[in-house]
Amino acid sequence: MIQIKPEIIHQIKEATSLEHLFDKVQMAIELEHATIPPYLTAMFSLKPGANLGQRKIIYSVVVEEMMHMSIAANILNALGGSPQINNPQFIPSYPGPLPMGIGQGLQVGLEAYSTKVVEDVFMKIEEPEHPLVFKALFESEEPQYSTIGEFYMALQNQIIALAPDILPGDSTKQVTSPSFFKKELLFPIIKKEDAINAINVIIEQGEGTTKSPYAQGEDGEFAHYYRFEELSRGKTLVADSTATNGFSFSGADIAFDHNGVYSLYPNTKTASLPEGSEVKILMNNFNTIYSSLLFGLHDTFNGKPENLGNTIGLMFDLRLTAEKLCATPFPGKPGYNVGPSFEFFKPGMPI
Amino acid sequence: MSYLNSPRLTFNGDFQSDVSTVNNDTAHYNNETFKPSFQIPSDSNDPNGWWNPEGGAVFNFLNCKVSQLTFEDGTVKSDPGSDMILGQFVGGPEGRPTGKMVDLDPDQQGVSALWCVQLRLFTASNELLFQGDIATTAFRDLQFRQTDGGKTNGQPLGGTWTSVMTNVQWGEKALASSPFLQKLKEVTHENKLSINLNAFGYHYNHSQDGRFSLGRILGSIGPWFKGEPDTFLPGRRLYGLVGLRGPAYFRISNFITEPETKRLTVDFGSSFPIADALGCISLTTPLLLGVAKIPVNQGPAQEATYITPTDFLKIGPVEYKTGSADWLNQTGGIVSFSNLPDLTFSSLTHNQLLLVSPSASTPGQLAIIARESVEGLYVRADNFVQRLDTDDESTIAFYAYRWGKPFANSAINVTLDSPTADTPLGPNNPISIVYGNNYPSDGLKFASGIFTDQQGLACLKILGKAIHSPRKYIDGQVYTLQYTLETYPNDYNDFAMMRDIIAVHLRDQFDVPEPPTWEAIKSTLIQYSNLYPIMSKYLVNLSDPVDLKLKKARLLFAFKQPITNTMHMPVTRDLSKAKREAIIKWLEYGELPEANDPTNENPPVPISQNPLGAGTPLTESQQDYRNVIKAKNGSMPSFPVIQNLFENL
Repeated sequence: MIQIKPEIIHQIKEATSLEHLFDKVQMAIELEHATIPPYLTAMFSLKPGANLGQRKIIYSVVVEEMMHMSIAANILNALGGSPQINNPQFIPSYPGPLPMGIGQGLQVGLEAYSTKVVEDVFMKIEEPEHPLVFKALFESEEPQYSTIGEFYMALQNQIIALAPDILPGDSTKQVTSPSFFKKELLFPIIKKEDAINAINVIIEQGEGTTKSPYAQGEDGEFAHYYRFEELSRGKTLVADSTATNGFSFSGADIAFDHNGVYSLYPNTKTASLPEGSEVKILMNNFNTIYSSLLFGLHDTFNGKPENLGNTIGLMFDLRLTAEKLCATPFPGKPGYNVGPSFEFFKPGMPI
Repeated sequence: MSYLNSPRLTFNGDFQSDVSTVNNDTAHYNNETFKPSFQIPSDSNDPNGWWNPEGGAVFNFLNCKVSQLTFEDGTVKSDPGSDMILGQFVGGPEGRPTGKMVDLDPDQQGVSALWCVQLRLFTASNELLFQGDIATTAFRDLQFRQTDGGKTNGQPLGGTWTSVMTNVQWGEKALASSPFLQKLKEVTHENKLSINLNAFGYHYNHSQDGRFSLGRILGSIGPWFKGEPDTFLPGRRLYGLVGLRGPAYFRISNFITEPETKRLTVDFGSSFPIADALGCISLTTPLLLGVAKIPVNQGPAQEATYITPTDFLKIGPVEYKTGSADWLNQTGGIVSFSNLPDLTFSSLTHNQLLLVSPSASTPGQLAIIARESVEGLYVRADNFVQRLDTDDESTIAFYAYRWGKPFANSAINVTLDSPTADTPLGPNNPISIVYGNNYPSDGLKFASGIFTDQQGLACLKILGKAIHSPRKYIDGQVYTLQYTLETYPNDYNDFAMMRDIIAVHLRDQFDVPEPPTWEAIKSTLIQYSNLYPIMSKYLVNLSDPVDLKLKKARLLFAFKQPITNTMHMPVTRDLSKAKREAIIKWLEYGELPEANDPTNENPPVPISQNPLGAGTPLTESQQDYRNVIKAKNGSMPSFPVIQNLFENL
C-alpha cells in the first residue's frame, strides 16, 4: 500500500481552520494525478487490438482516478482554496515515491504492462488497509507510516469538525460532467455533507468497503485493488456463495498475450532521445499536450468549469500521441520502444 | 485584409501539419474495394495509404518567434531591446486542443483549410502578450518555392493562408510595456487583427533531420480595418512572367501603396525562390522594383519579356541576402520603400508595378520577372470554400479592385466548370472506378453575372439543390466555379494562377430514418473507419456497432461539437447535417443490428448520372488545376531541379 508520511496525518489532525487543510487537499489532488501516468503508460504499451481485457480494466481505473482528482479539486475549491495544477512541481519524478509517500516506500515508475508491474506496483498503490493493520498503526506510539485511507479519513474528520454546514468556497467553481460521470459520483460540493460523501467515493472506489470488494453498492464495479487482482490472477472476480467471503476469482479467463505488449524502455525521458529525431519531436508533442492538459485543468478548476470539454479533447490527443510513441522503436536501444515520459513542457521550449 | 499595413509584426518558425493521407486517394473511399494495406504508409513499391496514414489533422505553430516590428512611420525594429515583444514566442493554444488542417474533399485538395487555430504570443515565463482565434481560412496561391525540387522534403510548393483573428485578448503586462502592442490595439478596428501565413518547406518525407510533417512558416500580423475582405489582401499583386506551365517563381506577390507615407510595401514571403526546405536563398540575380511607363500585357512564357530602361521608372533594388535563410526569417520577405518621390508614387497609383532584372542575354534591357495585371485589376471571392447541404444557401462576397482602389460598377462573370468524366479501372487507376465532378449541373443554382457596388463589393447567392449520390461511394459532389472580371478577361486567361476558384462541396440529399437504424449510417461509418486508422486503431472501431455503443458518451461528445470547435467530429468536416443527425440518434437510442441481418447490404440509392462518357479528356484549365493538386498532395512523381534560375534572362 502507499505508505504516507505520518506527519501529514498528524498535521491534518492538528488543523484548527479549513485553511490548514488546503495544502493537504492539494496533495490529494497531486496523489490522485500521480497514479495516472503509470497506469496510462502500461495501458498504452498494450498493442492496438491486443489484450483487450487488460486495457479495459486499466482504462476503467484511470477514468476513476481522473474523477478522484476532480473530486479532490472540488473539495479544495469548496473549502475556499485554489487547486494548483499548471506547474512542473505538480508532476512527480518517475521513478520515485508518489506524493506524500515515504522516501523508502513504494517506488513508482513508467513501465510497460506486465503482471509483475500490476502486482508489485498497481496493486500496492491500491491495496486496502487491513483492519488489523489499521488498528495496530493507530495504536502505535511512533508509526512508521500511514495509509491513504487514514489520510482521507483524517481529512474527512477534520472537515466534519471545522467546516460550517455550507462550505465557504465559491460554488460556481464546482466541476461536474454529467456526460461522463454519474451525478452520484461527481457532484457539486456545496455542503459539508457533500464533502463527506465525496471522500467516501474516493475511498470506496480505491479500496472497497471493509465488507465487500464492490466500490459502491452490490451492483457497482469492484474497487481498484480487486480489478488489478483480476489481472494478476487472469480470472474475473465473481460472487461465489461457496467462498468464505462470498467472492472468488473463478470467473472468465482474462487471457494475456505477451506478444501483445510493446517493450517500452522503462521511464523513458525526452533527454535520452536523439536530437533532431522524429521521435523526439513526437515526444515533445506528447509533453506539449500533457502540459496543455494541466494548464487546461488548472483553468477548469479555477473558475472556468466550462473548459472541461477542452481538456477531454486534450486527453484524446494525449492518447493518440502516446499510442504512436509506444509503437516507435527507441533509437539506439534495440528491442525497446519509446514510452511516454509525462514531463512538463514549458511553452516556447524548442521542439 | 491589411496584414501589410502597420503597425505590423513579423514572426517565423515551424508549423506542424499532421494531416491524414488515406483520404488523399479518392478510390480509398470505396468501401467495397478497400484493403487493409491502404492504412499503412507508402513504400517504394506501393502507395498504400500514402505518406501519413495515421495523421490526426493537427495544425500547430512550433519554434516560432517574433523577428521584426514595423511601425506606422516605417521604422523597422528587430533589436530585442527596442520593444519587449521582439524575440517573444508564438505558439498554439494552452488548455485546449490545437487547431486542425483539412481538405474539402478528395476531389478538391487545393483548398486545405485551417480550422479553429489559435495563435498565442507569450514570454519566456509564459505571460500572455496577446492571443486570438484565426477564422477558418483555406490556402490559396500555391507556388513553386524550392529550386532544389523538394528532393529532401518532398514538397517544393508553398501556400498562403490569410485570415482575421477574432476574440483577441491582450496581456496586461504587454499593453503596459510594449509601445508596439499599444499602437496595434489602438489602430485596429473592432479588436480584430489581420494575419497572413506563408508556409513552405513542408516535409512529406521522413528526412534525416526529423522534420517529417513540419514546414517553415512566415507570419505577419497587422491591424484589421472595417469593410475589408477576410481571406485576402485588399491591395495589388505581382504575377510571375517567366515559365508557362512549368515552375514560375515569383508567381504571386501581394503589395500595397500608402499615400500618407508615399510607401510601397511588397510581400515576397509567399514567392521568393528558396534553395531548400529551410528557406535558404541561393539566388544572386539583382532584382529591381519599378513602375512601367507603358502598359505591359504579355502573358507568361518560357522566354523572358523585356522592357527598355526608358520605359521603366525605378523604385529601388530588392535588398535580399543570399547564402542563408536569415533575410527571409528576419523580414518575412517583406520589402518597403518609404517617401518615394512624388512622381514615382503618383505614377505608381495608376501604372503597373514591375519586378525586373538587368538582362544578361540582352544587355541594356530589363527582363520582366513579374508584373501587375493590366489596369491593375484584381477580383477575388472572399469566402470561397463552401460546404452546402440540400437547400442551404450561401452568399459569397467578391471584392474588385483597380490599382488597389475599389472597382465600382464592374461585371463579374461566374461559371460552373464543365463536368469531368468518370475514370474507369485501368493500369493508372487500379483500385476503383473514380467518378467525375461538377455534375449534376442543376445541383447548384446561382446567377451567372453580378455587379460590384460603389465599394467594389458584389454578392453571389449559391443555393444547393438535392443531388443523389453522383459519386456513388462518396457523399455529394464537388463543384468548381470560375469567375472573372468582364473587363480584360484576357489577362485572366493568360495567367492560370491569376484565376481563382470557388470550391463547393454539396452533400447528398438524405432522409433521417425514424427510428434510426444502423443500416442507414453503416456505410458512412465504415468509410470513416477505413479512412482514419488513427481513430479506428486507437479510439473506437467506427465500423463496429457494438464498440460504437460502448463508447457512446465519447462519440456523442465529439459528434455534437459545432463545426467551429476543434473537437468536432469528423475532423474533415464533410458530414452532412442529416447524416450527423442520423448518427447521433442511432447512438442515443438506435438498436444494434441483428447478427446475419439479410439487409446488411447497402440500400439502393438513386443516382445522379454523369453526363459525360468515360474517358472524356479534361479541359486545359482543369488539367492545369489537377496538376497543381497533384503537386500539392504529393502524388506528382518528381519536380525539376533549377540550377541557374534567372541567370540567363
